Amino acid sequence: MIQQLIQYRIRVISFLVLVTLTLSVFWLYSLTLSKTAFASGILLLCCILFLAAYQWRKKLSFLSLGTATVWLQFHIFVGLMSSLLFLMHIGFRVPDGMLEFALFLTYCFVFLSGVLGWLLSRIIPYRLLSRGEQVIYERIPIYYRKVREAVEQLVSENLKTDEENAVADFYQKNLREFFSGPRNQLRHILHSRRHRHQLTQQVSQILPYLEEREQEAMKQIAVQIQLKDDLDYQRSLQSVLKTWLFVHVPLTWTLILFALFHTITVCAFASTSG
Amino acid sequence: MSEPSVTRPRRWDKPFSLEAGSENEMTDTDVEELLQLTPFCQIDSSGFKRSLSLQEILKNDARIVGFDDGDIIVRRGDWGSSAFLILSGNVRVELERGESSLPDEILGRRHRRMKTLWESFSQLWRNHREAEVREVAEVSGARPAMNTRLTRGRTRIYLQEVSAVLDKYRTARLEPGHWFGELAALGRTSRVATVFSEGVSQLLEIRWQGIRDILRYDTHGGLKSYIEDAFRERALASFLRTDPLFQECSTELMQRIVEQAEFYTFGNYDSSRPFKELNSNPLRITETGEPVIIREGETPRGIVMIRSGLARISQRYYQGRRTVGYLSPGQVFGLEVIQSGMKASVSQPCQTQLSAIGHLNVVVIPKELVEEILEQQNTTGNNAVTEPPRLSPTCQTVKIDDEALLGQLIDRNYVQGTSLMVIDLDRCTRCDDCVRACATAHDNNPRFIRHGPVLNHFMVPSSCLHCVDPVCMIECPTGAIYRDLGQGDIVINDQTCIGCAQCASNCPFDAIRMVDIRDSRGNLIVDSKTHAPLTQATKCDLCIDQRTGPACERACPHDALFRVDMQDAVQVEEVFAR
Ligand code: SF4
Ligand code: SF4
Repeated sequence: MIQQLIQYRIRVISFLVLVTLTLSVFWLYSLTLSKTAFASGILLLCCILFLAAYQWRKKLSFLSLGTATVWLQFHIFVGLMSSLLFLMHIGFRVPDGMLEFALFLTYCFVFLSGVLGWLLSRIIPYRLLSRGEQVIYERIPIYYRKVREAVEQLVSENLKTDEENAVADFYQKNLREFFSGPRNQLRHILHSRRHRHQLTQQVSQILPYLEEREQEAMKQIAVQIQLKDDLDYQRSLQSVLKTWLFVHVPLTWTLILFALFHTITVCAFASTSG
Repeated sequence: MSEPSVTRPRRWDKPFSLEAGSENEMTDTDVEELLQLTPFCQIDSSGFKRSLSLQEILKNDARIVGFDDGDIIVRRGDWGSSAFLILSGNVRVELERGESSLPDEILGRRHRRMKTLWESFSQLWRNHREAEVREVAEVSGARPAMNTRLTRGRTRIYLQEVSAVLDKYRTARLEPGHWFGELAALGRTSRVATVFSEGVSQLLEIRWQGIRDILRYDTHGGLKSYIEDAFRERALASFLRTDPLFQECSTELMQRIVEQAEFYTFGNYDSSRPFKELNSNPLRITETGEPVIIREGETPRGIVMIRSGLARISQRYYQGRRTVGYLSPGQVFGLEVIQSGMKASVSQPCQTQLSAIGHLNVVVIPKELVEEILEQQNTTGNNAVTEPPRLSPTCQTVKIDDEALLGQLIDRNYVQGTSLMVIDLDRCTRCDDCVRACATAHDNNPRFIRHGPVLNHFMVPSSCLHCVDPVCMIECPTGAIYRDLGQGDIVINDQTCIGCAQCASNCPFDAIRMVDIRDSRGNLIVDSKTHAPLTQATKCDLCIDQRTGPACERACPHDALFRVDMQDAVQVEEVFAR
């Protein structure tokens, strides 16, 4: 633990040294009256390519390229540093050309989605652990099916020949929809339990009107409601973590394309000196 | 009620001499002849139960096996569950350890080769799309993995050039009347040396159940003292020297320690059953039925050093007991109590209790000798009486601040793990990068499932623990599952795995999966005679052939997945304190 802490501190310090060095080189360069935008642009492009390389590192886990943890830390550090470079590169103002503006927006989205991802990866694991069984995302549909079958079994066991099928009616009216697939995604993301409370109340309201056997079945259905809701909770939060990557990664590739195009045009049409 | 259609199998339904690998059935004449030989003639047979007489034990738990020149009888590193007595002929035992011992290749082991940089890289596109692809030549025996021959109706691994082996490697000759293999069989450790036949030889092989019963009922204790003497003579001194306390001991004192040390065995040896019961019944109070070695409040007669197995340290807590630590092989109990007794000049009682988890072998060193060591160290300026001894991480008692978690780790027997996979769920983002990395390192077949019991915020996924006492290896008929001698990991050799599933059914953690194997076109490989699909055992091999070690651990971006050696006190404390 202590060793890990020391290693982490060494990484933070080396990052700070790196940032200071980069900025001072950059400042010294600006003293020579050279066009600083060119230098900051090249550096920025290198940073973006390094940031994108993280995705490749994941695929090359069997090569001695350092652990994924260290890479992620540098990914975050370099990402932060790139934001400083970016601000300097655009001269602290919103660019006005079409391509530049698109580039500006893409960078902002990539950066913000990165920050959001980092926050999510810190917050969601805690929340996932707080409710329900720890299930593998891909297996959730199997659990859904099991829960639904258990409930339908309870309902069918309580079917009567006359018309007064209270449990079946209740299931049809209030629960069928709920058990048929993932529900209340947004509520779970916002950490609301309102729907769960409502369903539990509906179950307790019907209990006084049921026979003893039906009451017992209803209580068991209530347990399945909790199970299903916990599964929804796990699914919603895990899908946030998965969807986030589907936003961040394609945006990064768009950014690289724009940035390369921008670099080529700039190199083709501008001179590098003062 | 109708009669049951099957009868419950009993221990001796199939005598050892009728099992695969035997030549002739043990006859009453064979048994009578054996009873004339040492040590059986010295055994007092009156102490044996009628239903479990010495004759019956020899008839059912022993067999006579013949070996030809160069046949390997036991291999260093294999798990053995039987001992051997040489009846005629000679055998050779290798003397060297490490680099200069007989190389793996001539012992018929697959040479585990680390992948080259290019091979590692090319896994990206060379891995098969189909699951569990094997080279047909390897599993069909078309390319023999080792020197084998059919000797007396049994396939055996043999040394091709016995005289060359004798010239090149240091070996010792064992003659008729000599026992070997009993320490590994009873101590549940791997064979420490390879033994092969020099010329034609005939041996008596006894399975451990038989040895156990003879030890239990022989009132004269002839075999027991033979086995103890063998351990005393061959291995005790070097075993004790693994602990810092004994490292600077004078030769004379060590000699006396070796002479006076006592050996004890606790608990049930029976394969994996106790662990399985524990695992299937997590609510069971683990104290029930655990034999106590030293009680809380008792003055210890000496220090207890664990030879094999695990021991629990517990303390009274209101009306029950709570676990405060555990000991694994090589660790010591009772030293601090003796030290504080010496300091206070009066014997001190133990503040904790020591009990056996499952099967346990211990060595007890009498208190007077321990005091002598401490005094000797004191005079050499080590201040051992007043200061706690400097212990290496592997010699310390394993403790965790969260005693409830510690109790759970012991009850579920995770303390067996030398490389237990643990995921910190507070950090894990469920990205499955670990599973993907594992799959890439294993031809697209992940060797673990990111799912398992959750203890506090730690998940223990379904993955091989690489146990200290790998019960999976006990009944493997071909030795295909073995402990890699270089790194100590438990690995499966695809070339010799016959798919019998013994290992999978013995593993208490369900960490071994039996899979149908395919050729590179994705077709199931089937037995040429029965046309049944061939299966093989698979499990985590700690990425033994990858340059970077466990891929899962390196691939986790959030530092959530780690491998813990549960015998390393410092590592355990650090990991579970996060
Ligand atoms: S150590 Fe290797 S084989 Fe074992 S689970 Fe991790 S990646 Fe898979
Ligand atoms: S790689 Fe790490 S964070 Fe991702 S699922 Fe595996 S343990 Fe969890």
